[in-house]
Amino acid sequence: MIKHEGLKEEFKYVTNPDEQEHIGGLFASGDMLMQEIAYNLITGQNDQVGILVKQALDEDYTANIVLDDGLIAGMAIVGVKFRDNIIFVPEVLISARAMKAGMEHIEPILSASGVKPIGTVIMGTVKGDLHDIGKNLCIMMLRGGGFSVHDLGVDTKPDDFIDAVMEHDAAIVGMSALLTTTMPNMGTTIEAFEDAGMREEVKIMVGGAPVTQEFADEMGADAYGANAVDCVQKAKDLSAAK
Amino acid sequence: MIDVTLKLNKRERVLNALTGKDVDRPPVSNPTNVATVELMDYVNAPFPDACRDAELNARLALTGHTELGFDSIAPYFTIIQESSALGCEMQWEQKDNWPTVRMGNPIWKTSSDIKIPAGFLEHKDNVAITRSIHILREEVKNEVAILGKTMGPWTLAYHVFGVEPFLLMSIDDPAETRKILRKLKDITVLFGQAQIDAGADVLVLPDHATGDLVSGKYYDDFLLELHQELVDDLKVPLILHICGRTIDRMPSIAKSGMAAFHFDSKNLPVDAMEAVNNGINLVGNINNPETLYSKTTKEVREEVFRALDAGVQLIAPECAIPLKTKIENLLAIPDAVNEWVSNKFQS
Repeated sequence: MIKHEGLKEEFKYVTNPDEQEHIGGLFASGDMLMQEIAYNLITGQNDQVGILVKQALDEDYTANIVLDDGLIAGMAIVGVKFRDNIIFVPEVLISARAMKAGMEHIEPILSASGVKPIGTVIMGTVKGDLHDIGKNLCIMMLRGGGFSVHDLGVDTKPDDFIDAVMEHDAAIVGMSALLTTTMPNMGTTIEAFEDAGMREEVKIMVGGAPVTQEFADEMGADAYGANAVDCVQKAKDLSAAK
Repeated sequence: MIDVTLKLNKRERVLNALTGKDVDRPPVSNPTNVATVELMDYVNAPFPDACRDAELNARLALTGHTELGFDSIAPYFTIIQESSALGCEMQWEQKDNWPTVRMGNPIWKTSSDIKIPAGFLEHKDNVAITRSIHILREEVKNEVAILGKTMGPWTLAYHVFGVEPFLLMSIDDPAETRKILRKLKDITVLFGQAQIDAGADVLVLPDHATGDLVSGKYYDDFLLELHQELVDDLKVPLILHICGRTIDRMPSIAKSGMAAFHFDSKNLPVDAMEAVNNGINLVGNINNPETLYSKTTKEVREEVFRALDAGVQLIAPECAIPLKTKIENLLAIPDAVNEWVSNKFQS
């Protein structure tokens, strides 16, 4: 149950009944501190999120509870607003910055606890493309969603993707491109996995502003992520299919 | 209006379309790059050298007219020349890859850092464009329209401040953001005027405040006034280019006073025409990554017909094309325009 007045207003942007049920469920405990964290994350108050997360941990909330009921719950609403064009990249970036402020307190605890990730994902922007905002948002959401992510950065050669899959025993590769001029390099990378005899071992998902489902199909990708929220869902689907 | 009895050369056709005068057929234009690896090989002018050497640049740019049959030629193939001259870290790549700015290593942090280097216009990468325009003007006389290109302040800001820091700043400190844009506008004018002086007929002004990154309100809050000023500053027809989803900001773009807006295939031509409501000409919007890069000439022609049927005034690829695009698909664009005119007006 949502008690926080500001969060109630934000939740009005969630109009899909399934999403209302899912995201509303994340706030089911009615815990005001978690809702305060979520609200401050949505509105991009990074200092406040850091303070509140630390306070919660000091009050013996578990790291998983703070992550799920505070940070990820807030980010779920951010994702819906972004997908529905209610907010745009700058607004998502300030929420991402707030998430990072909270994660700085949570990550060391999670790492020490030895909780196994859902899966391992290799992420990179394709060769010739130096844009990374979309990729970085996906990585943040994937990590928040329980994946271990290895970020290869920008301008990633096909062989670098292949090497990283082998090094980290990853089951999923995510490629991003912002330029229509570099999008074909997604196909080149997929061909490189085929040439290396590794195509059956990995699931490949693609995304980026100019990328479409049709293009993803033409390139031979296994999944297309329309945005950062969708990217996490597609990664979960691919993990389940493995 | 289309008057097939008119006798226009390519330059006249483009300029008439941009200034609202009658044309014998809608021009085929290239506000963004149409050079391909095939064309680079054909005239022995490969990337990245063709981006940095005026002679090679002009040779490659001319193929837009001689080999593709477009009505305009455009020697500025990328969006990075002046950023190189400003001191940005560059990645020039190879023949089949696009040169880019390493935006992860921005050169400036605040408005007070913005300083136009002495000799900015004499920098090799700017001279490659202005000198190329001179060469092209000599070559085509007044027969073909020459499109120069100067980056708008928003795009320059991505290059010199980095995309993420700049977008964060737009929320953290809107006043500083406006200050930055106003200062960067001086660079837009400086390089634009140099190209006009060199002989450019038209300037393309990329300013990527796209719906894939920022809201339509951003265009009103940060750019509309600056764009209106640029129309006064640069006395040739200006073509604004913004990739991605832009329908929500097209009514504002139509108030910019620019001659045309070069729009992306993410926006349907009929929707775009309705959004601008005759306030600005439209150039576009043949899809690159799917249609031009990987489909057939039949599908290219269908997209051209769709744009023409909607009333789009100048036909062009939506944005810079993948460098391995097949020439036959580019040739299909002017062919389709001629076929459409023939069917509509000469039957």
